[in-house]
Amino acid sequence: MNNWLRENLWRHGVAIVVCLFSLFPLYLVILSSLKTSGSLQVGSFIPHEISLDNYRFLFHSPKTPYVLWFKNSLVIASTVAISSVVIGAASAFAFSRLKFRGKRLGIRLLLLVQMFPAVLALSAVYVIMERVYTFAPKIGLGSQGGLILVYLGGSMGVNIWLLKGFVDSIPVELDEAAKIDGASAVQTYWLIFIPLATPVLAVVCLLSFIGTFNEFILARLFLVEMNGRTIAVGLQQFIGGQYASNWGPFAAGSILASIPIVIIFLSLQRFIVNGLTAGSVKG
Amino acid sequence: MRGKFALVTKIIFLGITTAILALLTESAFAQKQYVIGTFILVAILALNLVYLTSISIPFKFFLPGILFFFGFVIAPIFFTVQMSGYKYQTGNYLSKSAALEQVLNLGAEPDAAGTTFDITVGKTSSKEDAILVSDIANDKYFLSTATKRTEVPKAAAKFDANGVAIAAPNFQSMTAIALAANDAYSRIHYTYQGKYYIAIESQNAGGVFRQALSYSANTGILSNSVTGATYVDNHRGNFAKVGSPSEILSPGWRAPIWFENYTRLFTDHQIRTPLTRVFIWTFFFALFSVLSTFALGLLLAIALNRKMRGRRVYRSILILPYAMPSIMSILIWAGMFDSDFGAVNSILHTNIHWFQNPSLARSVVLLVNLWLGFPYFYLICSGSLQAIPSELLEAAAIDGANPRQVFRKITLPLLLQILSPLLIASFAFNFNNFNLIYLLTGGGPTQTLNGEIAGATDILISYTYKIAFGSKTFQDFGLASAISVIIFVMVASISMYGLRRSKVMETFG
Repeated sequence: MNNWLRENLWRHGVAIVVCLFSLFPLYLVILSSLKTSGSLQVGSFIPHEISLDNYRFLFHSPKTPYVLWFKNSLVIASTVAISSVVIGAASAFAFSRLKFRGKRLGIRLLLLVQMFPAVLALSAVYVIMERVYTFAPKIGLGSQGGLILVYLGGSMGVNIWLLKGFVDSIPVELDEAAKIDGASAVQTYWLIFIPLATPVLAVVCLLSFIGTFNEFILARLFLVEMNGRTIAVGLQQFIGGQYASNWGPFAAGSILASIPIVIIFLSLQRFIVNGLTAGSVKG
Repeated sequence: MRGKFALVTKIIFLGITTAILALLTESAFAQKQYVIGTFILVAILALNLVYLTSISIPFKFFLPGILFFFGFVIAPIFFTVQMSGYKYQTGNYLSKSAALEQVLNLGAEPDAAGTTFDITVGKTSSKEDAILVSDIANDKYFLSTATKRTEVPKAAAKFDANGVAIAAPNFQSMTAIALAANDAYSRIHYTYQGKYYIAIESQNAGGVFRQALSYSANTGILSNSVTGATYVDNHRGNFAKVGSPSEILSPGWRAPIWFENYTRLFTDHQIRTPLTRVFIWTFFFALFSVLSTFALGLLLAIALNRKMRGRRVYRSILILPYAMPSIMSILIWAGMFDSDFGAVNSILHTNIHWFQNPSLARSVVLLVNLWLGFPYFYLICSGSLQAIPSELLEAAAIDGANPRQVFRKITLPLLLQILSPLLIASFAFNFNNFNLIYLLTGGGPTQTLNGEIAGATDILISYTYKIAFGSKTFQDFGLASAISVIIFVMVASISMYGLRRSKVMETFG
């Protein structure tokens, strides 16, 4: 018994303390989403009354077109995730499997440029999209179409890089066999690579979805209209520093918005941890 | 059959893409966006060339990726570098021709008497913008367009109660709503007499002006015919008065000033002081964030590195902060530290203004970043601990090392070696952790009294953002771009160093 204590007590101790630290804000935010009063004030850690007023406010008040925000986030993030994987997978396949001149240079450029944080080029993107707006307002500054294009372009470097890593791990013997049987590169891609890589593509797709869902600053710059905002921008603008009056609905909104992401994340845990060691950092 | 179907699909798809892009090119050129237009044109050619011929198989795979990559990653980077060499800020935002046009418009001088007329805005029967002018003092009425003036006999016109002509032959007045929808009419110079013209001042009044400023494209001199002053391009994006260079005309245009934005970082006291402070904090913030998240993550990984009851539960709870969308967590933390209504003050029964005091605000930033970041290193460290061969540890134990010595002499050095690329990547990530700062503190607290925009928790990237977008009245894209370029060079060197140490680079030398 004494031995068990010495060996395990501190382990449980550390784990429990850090678990409390990690649960603390989450518990409080769930608690305040279920309160009637708007404030964050926590009288006690045990709720006396449970009300869904805040959730009701979220769906019915014209100040928070929450359903629209959610829809915008879903539409934007899934469009970006799916398109960037479709485009990125083909590029990654070429970089991993095909031989061509300038490949090494291309890979290095990709590697270098994907380190350029998107926020740094913000003024440039802003000015470029402002110019695009003058001739094509639907894909220029202020439009969801433009935002999707910018995300798509911005995610290209990281996604190609990530996908290339996965493609590299698929045994090359398979496509060599296909080649001997007379398959062209395009056939190898569609008939051998895609079926093999589908699960991996799905994972990268979901990761890209999470990344886009989490993006704030470009969305903030692009989506000015109340009804066109994403959830992140909508909630941030709604709260606008006025935690006193808007905290309850905000808490409810942030919980609802987090649930799908947390579910995706937890179910992909294994893949994400593998991806982590490849050097990607979740934003 | 399958091949034919694929071919037809390909051609339809390519056709639609080409058509859309062609339309875009056309409107881009129509709006004088030549660079963007040319880019789209090249994209069209490349797409058709690659997918209709077999000129290059690899290109069939990565052309779309490359186009996006160039359009939205490479081009903005180049553009950032280019902007950093320009005076590109509020007041110097337009192209030179657009700025010149505005300067000339502003150079209108009213006539000596300051004459104004009652007018009715409308169109002639040939759909030309026109105004019906009532010179009531002289009892004269005329119709005026950009090109000519036609007298209207009093008998032919109709008047309202104030004696203002509202209808005339060959003239159709426009409703206020129609006018509001399109303001092109308001910028026209309507013919009056000689050098003078009528400019719209409101929907029912026009004033008599003449163009005082005139520009000679040959000499590049802008002269004011009323005051006699002349202005020349000062090569810094403005027209400056000859003999008195500090008197400049607004607006200016974006003009190349080469490395001045960079030299300003080091010589301009107003920029250098905050920049130095921000840089030191950025470095400290990134370093401390990496060390603290790594330390806590490692501690947990070690504590849970054996089969024990409840490990799965602990693990699920511990990665929750990482699974949450970070934006939501940051906003939640910001609310918790709110001084009046936040949960932290309410639990501690205090009334601390967390975000008003520089040291407190910085501590909060570090604490929140620890919360956000430790699960990452917990996951990484748990994985890596298992990768350390147990023979090594056993051998050390047999040699008589106690657990602490084993950790210090074997586990930690090995871990650091395995994880150093990730530690460096994490440093680079935190170096640019814009969302955290922007959403948690907004960079504050800021001493706004002396017009300072850099706050105590501002890191380089949020400071740069403030320079470019922070103020509604003054935005300096040139300076922001210069700092961006410097940050990029720094982060890229740090990351390259990290990658060189990892296996990634070995594959391609």
